Amino acid sequence: MSALIEVRGLSKSFGAATVLHSVDVEVRAGEILTILGQSGGGKSTLLRCINLLEIPDGGNITIASQPVVSDGRIVVKDLARLRQKVGMVFQRFNLFPHLTAVENVILAQTRAAGISEDEAVETAVRLIRRVGLSHRALAFPDQMSGGEQQRVAIARALALNPTALLFDEPTSALDPESTREVLTVMRELAEGGMTMVIVTHEVPFARQISDQVAFVDAGLIVEKGPPDQVIGAPLEERTRSFLSHSAAG
Amino acid sequence: MKVEWGDYTSDLVTALWRTMEYTFLGFVGAVLLGLVLALMRRSRRRFVRIPAAIYTELFRNIPLLAIIFITYFGLASIGVLLDAIVAGALSLVIFYAAYLSEIFRAGLNGVHAGQREGAEALGMSRMRCFWQVIMPQALRLALPGTATMLVDLLKSTSLLVTIAAGELMSQAQLISSETFRALEVYLVIAAIYFAVCYPLSQLLLLLERKVQAGTPLTPGRRRRVAKVKALLAAGAST
Repeated sequence: MSALIEVRGLSKSFGAATVLHSVDVEVRAGEILTILGQSGGGKSTLLRCINLLEIPDGGNITIASQPVVSDGRIVVKDLARLRQKVGMVFQRFNLFPHLTAVENVILAQTRAAGISEDEAVETAVRLIRRVGLSHRALAFPDQMSGGEQQRVAIARALALNPTALLFDEPTSALDPESTREVLTVMRELAEGGMTMVIVTHEVPFARQISDQVAFVDAGLIVEKGPPDQVIGAPLEERTRSFLSHSAAG
Repeated sequence: MKVEWGDYTSDLVTALWRTMEYTFLGFVGAVLLGLVLALMRRSRRRFVRIPAAIYTELFRNIPLLAIIFITYFGLASIGVLLDAIVAGALSLVIFYAAYLSEIFRAGLNGVHAGQREGAEALGMSRMRCFWQVIMPQALRLALPGTATMLVDLLKSTSLLVTIAAGELMSQAQLISSETFRALEVYLVIAAIYFAVCYPLSQLLLLLERKVQAGTPLTPGRRRRVAKVKALLAAGAST
């Protein structure tokens, strides 16, 4: 079976600093890939290149057999459609503060995906319930806890019916209680068969939920494989060192 | 001599209407030009950014009265004859656009960069992102300053007395010269300005509070919120 997300030889620099050196990643439909690694190692950049929030310098990206980036050139015809198919959840939620939770979930449906208002409202209410926030549906982001905001952000991404979701350190800005809430929602998504690429520091969670784990350091994938191998019995010294530090911290 | 205010009522109403006209034209024009200038100053291109910066710095540092004299008397002296209403409204637009552009720029800059990414990641086009996500938030930030400028502009229309623009202050001068009761006349005119400006600022404050609280003010948002409430209630009862 071919991969849903296929990244080949991806490279990216910011000025003189090379952040990604020819990275290869493959994610099949329904699979969960977790990317671990130190801050500044290129994890987030890799994730952000997949939906072109960052423009790669070189390499190929193919999503659902559609070429997105070819030899470092953007070849995707409908970028908006791509981003709706590959949803993104941010560390800082990036909810729209001038709209209530449920309106956050409605907006892109009607204003980007061309869904009718009635359908969009229905979908939004259903998803707000699904992430356990029906009692907070009409609250504004600044009235909600971080965990609640992140669950709204997940609902917002789900509203466009994506085939895959990218999570960029979704719990790094959260307290332990909020982290648990968000990880629970992510676990439910995983059980529902959602394809996910997750950048996280939650090593135990990654080990539980992932089909594949990639350890990224200095712009390279140092080690990649099933979680029991990469986390349980890492082959590389850098992976071992990272894991022992994160366990201690 | 006594001031027969009854005889001046219709003149005063006309003059007040004129003041409102200047305020409306001046403010709408200044908002539009101010927005264009603010967007220009955020441009990545220098040749777009720099002219807007020069404009703002120039007109923020010239008195409004000088601008009024230039557009009315100055241009007339080289053959460009503008009516008082055109010259007056234009002067207000030119002057207040410079201030409003700074307020709008601060508003736009105050919207977190993550907001654009959030909208882009949902596949929203740049235009949709600007109008649906950036603008409403920038507006919230810019509203207090903009409201202050509107009231200030209304009061500044009184400077148009110098070009006999037919607004309240010009009318006051007329009544005063006819009755020789300057104190009484100008106190009454000041009271009229107050009676207009005070409710206006209070109204704007109310609007500011509503916008700050996120109250849905557009029909579209009201309708969507109502639909959500209906669905939530239906879900709760089943």
